Amino acid sequence: MRILGIFFYATIVALIGITLIIFALNRLNPQDITEIMIIMQESLSSRLIIGLSGALLILISFSVAQLILGRFQREKTIAFSTASGEVTIALSAVEDLIRRLAGIIPEIKELRPNVVATKKGILVDIRVVLKAAANIPEITSRLQEIARSKIQEVLGIEEQIIIRIHVTKIISLEDRNRKKKETGKDDDEPTIPFSGYSRT
Amino acid sequence: MHGEESRNELGTIKIHKNVIASITSLAAQEIDGVNRVGGDFKSGLLKLINRRQHWVIKVEINKNEEVHIEVPIVIKYGFNIPDVANKVQESIRNSLEKMTNLSIKDIDVNVQGIERGQ
Repeated sequence: MRILGIFFYATIVALIGITLIIFALNRLNPQDITEIMIIMQESLSSRLIIGLSGALLILISFSVAQLILGRFQREKTIAFSTASGEVTIALSAVEDLIRRLAGIIPEIKELRPNVVATKKGILVDIRVVLKAAANIPEITSRLQEIARSKIQEVLGIEEQIIIRIHVTKIISLEDRNRKKKETGKDDDEPTIPFSGYSRT
Repeated sequence: MHGEESRNELGTIKIHKNVIASITSLAAQEIDGVNRVGGDFKSGLLKLINRRQHWVIKVEINKNEEVHIEVPIVIKYGFNIPDVANKVQESIRNSLEKMTNLSIKDIDVNVQGIERGQ
């Protein structure tokens, strides 16, 4: 059924493509198209066929979309079985977990993880933005250690965890000050004493 | 949506799939470490249109009247996922067996995300 759906969908898309090419090569006059449309609209049976074809196309589109999404979802999970059934963990959940690690190490400004489950084990790609004062080898090895132990602790898996870190940017103090000025927030701005009080 | 049906001398007793899903949802939320039931694309859509969360739970009953359940959950940060998932499965099995006398075949737990506890 699924193969039939994909085949049908591909045929329809190919037919649309061929029609567009014929139209571009000037082999099809707009008048001919209008005449065909008029003939089709005049007959009740042809209108019924067109309507049903439309409904069928919508159904096939949904089934193809579901097929693609289903496959995509299956690839993006880690699964294990228990006595009561199966437990699947979305890789986005593991990404959430790693994202939370940014708060543990103060030298990390931003952290973007990407988790992939491969035959070798779990592959974690982390893109980080560091603060200027940070010692990169020390911070990155600490992050690798923390991420590995946290994943093992929380997921309870014994599979190999490969953690790759990519430092994308180092934010200097000047950058941070410029950003503060752009956003209009300046911590050094003097405050007016008792400005929050008013007469009632 | 069909449900489980049993017959006695007075008539039939039907348990709707929504009831099984509701019990599943409540049993899952009782476990320490479960932030909420849902977290997938479908539950996000249902949340937008204000539908009940148990709609995201998939309940299937086969010809042998065995129940198969799929429940998506979001776990609180800091909890061990397999531990929480096991407890969820146990809690759902106990609650359903106690309240409905149904035969539970599988309880599949899908962990969709990790969030800070509310």
